Amino acid sequence: MTIPATLDTRSPSLSPDALALLGRLILIVLIAGALTAVDPGFASVSNLLNMLRQASLLFLVASGLTLVIIGGGLDLSVGSNLTLSACLAAAAIKTTGNPWYGVAVAVTSGTLIGFTNGLMINRLRLPPFLATFGMLWVAQGAAYWFMAGQTIYGMPMSFRYFGTGFFLGVPLPIWITLVVCVVCSIILHRTTFGREAYFMGANQTAALLSGIAVERRRLLLYVLSGLTAGIAALVYLARLNAAEPGIGEPLLLPAIAAVLVGGTSLFGGSGNIVGTVLGAILLTIIVNGLNLLNVAATWHPFVNGAVVLIAILADFIVSRRRSESG
Amino acid sequence: MTAPTQSQQRPGAGQFFSAIPGAGILLILMLALFTIANPRFVSQTNLVNVGLQASLLLMIALPMTLIILTEGLDLSAGALLGLSGVIVAEALLAGWSVFAACAMAFAISTAFGALNGVLIAYLTLPAFVVTLGTMGLMQGIALVMTNGDPVGGFTPAIETFYRSQLWIFPMPIVVAVALYAALWLLLYRTRLGNYVIAIGGNKDALRLAGIRANLVHLAVYVLGSAIVGLSAVLLIGRTNSAHPTVGIGMEFEAIAAVVLGGTSFEKGQGWLFGAVLGALAITVLRNGLNILSVDSSLQVVCIGILLILALLIDRARKHYSR
Amino acid sequence: MRTTRPRRCVLAAIICSTLSSPAAWADGEVIAAFTKNQVDPHFEGVRAGVAQMAQRMNATVKNYTPTKPNNITEGMSQLEDVGVTKPNLMLFMPIDAKAQLPTIKRLIDSGLPIINYNDRGGDAPFLSFIGQDDYKLGYDIAKTLFDHLGGKGNVVILEGVKGSTTGDERKRGFDAAAKDYPNIKILASQPTNFQRLLGMQTMENLIQQFSTIDGVIAAADASALGAIEALNAAGRKNVAVVSINGVPEAVEAVKAGSLLAIAEFDGFKIGCVATAVGLNAIRGQSAPKQVTIPGAIITKANYAPWLIPYKDRTCPTPDAYIAK
Repeated sequence: MTIPATLDTRSPSLSPDALALLGRLILIVLIAGALTAVDPGFASVSNLLNMLRQASLLFLVASGLTLVIIGGGLDLSVGSNLTLSACLAAAAIKTTGNPWYGVAVAVTSGTLIGFTNGLMINRLRLPPFLATFGMLWVAQGAAYWFMAGQTIYGMPMSFRYFGTGFFLGVPLPIWITLVVCVVCSIILHRTTFGREAYFMGANQTAALLSGIAVERRRLLLYVLSGLTAGIAALVYLARLNAAEPGIGEPLLLPAIAAVLVGGTSLFGGSGNIVGTVLGAILLTIIVNGLNLLNVAATWHPFVNGAVVLIAILADFIVSRRRSESG
Repeated sequence: MTAPTQSQQRPGAGQFFSAIPGAGILLILMLALFTIANPRFVSQTNLVNVGLQASLLLMIALPMTLIILTEGLDLSAGALLGLSGVIVAEALLAGWSVFAACAMAFAISTAFGALNGVLIAYLTLPAFVVTLGTMGLMQGIALVMTNGDPVGGFTPAIETFYRSQLWIFPMPIVVAVALYAALWLLLYRTRLGNYVIAIGGNKDALRLAGIRANLVHLAVYVLGSAIVGLSAVLLIGRTNSAHPTVGIGMEFEAIAAVVLGGTSFEKGQGWLFGAVLGALAITVLRNGLNILSVDSSLQVVCIGILLILALLIDRARKHYSR
Repeated sequence: MRTTRPRRCVLAAIICSTLSSPAAWADGEVIAAFTKNQVDPHFEGVRAGVAQMAQRMNATVKNYTPTKPNNITEGMSQLEDVGVTKPNLMLFMPIDAKAQLPTIKRLIDSGLPIINYNDRGGDAPFLSFIGQDDYKLGYDIAKTLFDHLGGKGNVVILEGVKGSTTGDERKRGFDAAAKDYPNIKILASQPTNFQRLLGMQTMENLIQQFSTIDGVIAAADASALGAIEALNAAGRKNVAVVSINGVPEAVEAVKAGSLLAIAEFDGFKIGCVATAVGLNAIRGQSAPKQVTIPGAIITKANYAPWLIPYKDRTCPTPDAYIAK
């Protein structure tokens, strides 16, 4: 365990990571090929865009989570953060009529929840699993209380463009995904902060000893996770045209699954954001394919579970030699 | 459990008080507050209710403690509970004897436990991901077997067992206490227990000492799943039907109970009795809020706050006792 | 940050419990009203109806809803817990009828009067069942759509929660209606769990799969509203969508023309009537074994009454629905 070695894997020669990504890409292409063979409609541009748009929603929730997990943490509150942010934003848009207030509210509330998570973990030294699990309940409860059993619906068209609009023939959520993915990539691979995040995730004590302001970095990671949950809340709101206090809860486990299927290790210190994109696509393409094949919805959890297991087993086989030498 | 408040004023005064985790302190506080707010809270019926509800949670939380002691996690426990229930119910409907149906559920749960264990112990894959995957498998099988519908109409013997009493104690509570005793003996009075604790602290050292650490690690998952699989009998006894998704989410509640009780995710630090305190704290909170008919949205917030509070008390206690 | 002192924790715990301390016991009877979740506005309608009728008849309501939507074990625990508080009347809707039946039977045995409302709760000796005929709702709304389509076309069905009485009975109604129209082709029938997001994503996938969809039958408003979003986004403007429920948002959609019709499944009326029947029964009147509230078909011609917010509506009395 030497520091340069850990940092080296993040430098331009990303071969093991690239290999893992390539493997996922091949898997996606294989599945897509098989689905096209069964039903040529699968490969139509409109279906591919439709699938990518569904994947982009999952990815947005999972993106900030990826950063936190790389940094050695966990954020179980992303789903209920999304719920609360979407509900507050919807109320803001409804009362003011101005979408930008909604954007401001969602971004603020998402960030604040992330900030509180970071604070609890830093200052009170709570384990991330429990601090964010507690936050899950608090944010969910706040959303229930705020909504009082109602839904808020009917967003202005200018706002709904975020979720339903097209730019250059491609749905806007996909563009947003692209932007978030690029920004996260730059943060992770082209900034000191990103390198320190990997380092912290790999070995927190060593990171502390080498003079990294671990607490401040960690706080920032949770803030970023909250921020992306807030952004995801806006896209969901714009897509659904309504806020209800139940939207985020079912998203938590799929989001975690997308991160992990994408090859990011829950132990921290390895993984990347492109993997999460592929993970989200993989999980979505399967549901899309099962629907296309008219497979009963009862099969979905089974297939999803199998995909998670296959992905980690494949990684294990690919990287066995590497992990044994490390 | 006398004069708990002293432990707050003079922390570190006695080993006993400093050993009470945040969940214990909160539990005592809640008991007092709920009793003052509504005396029916301490009525016999209600205490039996709390006992019954907590015993089901404990059936998952106790094995979960062993797993967390090995620095692991089992997200598939809730799904397995649902699947085992469905298997027992379907087997009974197919004319199997109660014993054969339970044996079937036992076998399948053990097999899934072994799958988890092999992937986690031998292939060193992260427990969170492995059990997230197997959770999907189990939930899926339960759904496909039942087409998503609840299964009922099997022999009333199961419900009779759930409702039966040993002397004055309801059977589920007896089972939970017996399970606690058995796991306590296993963990603290056998060499295997020492190894389990040692895995969380330092698996490599165990291996170097010539012990088949992987096998012990595997055994923990197998044992955990076997217990969960059998406790499904209690659950379907309670509902007199089996529902494929009934256990979903219970794994998180069980994990919360374990950690509330003072068991840490790191380095195998923890104790079995903590799970009892944690499960009781969660159950008493929910029960008390129901008895006081607190608005459901506030209940949700209270659960989150309780979790964080208990941990804060732990934090403060450690801080003072240093 | 010195907030970690135990004393403050105690204070916080006290504040927490004071916030939640029970309202003073009112003069009248205490009603324990169960609903399935805090997400679907239908149940807000039920709670509003119960509240209004209880106030009119001078009784107090306590609401019980699982913290996790439609969670069976939590629903069971709440039943057991509420039994301890000995309310004068319980209004019960099952999350899962089979699972909750044993507990309900024990509560009834212990002398608690229980009204079953909204969903059928199995064969326990309830005072009365107040609800609607889900099969008929399903049949009527499907028929409305098929007639609108001129008796022929391609239709997809967005089902409710598999295994729930409401979901299964409505589906049975849809299928029965489809049999009566030989030229209607049911392209697909998939569960959307009464949910909006699932309704939207299922519809998106169905759009990819089928080039011509003339009509959509949804088992609940939320799924229909999600499906409408998907149809609009795909530019499929001429698809007629129908659903069941009639929550304000969906009635707005009827007004705007994006939803063709809704079979009324009116939580507000169910809440009102259940409360009135229950209170009358424990005050000594005889209770009808069953009150079935007929569901209107809400269309552009008659939507106005369902746009009124729940709290401003006036509770109907049971007499309106009891056959003489």
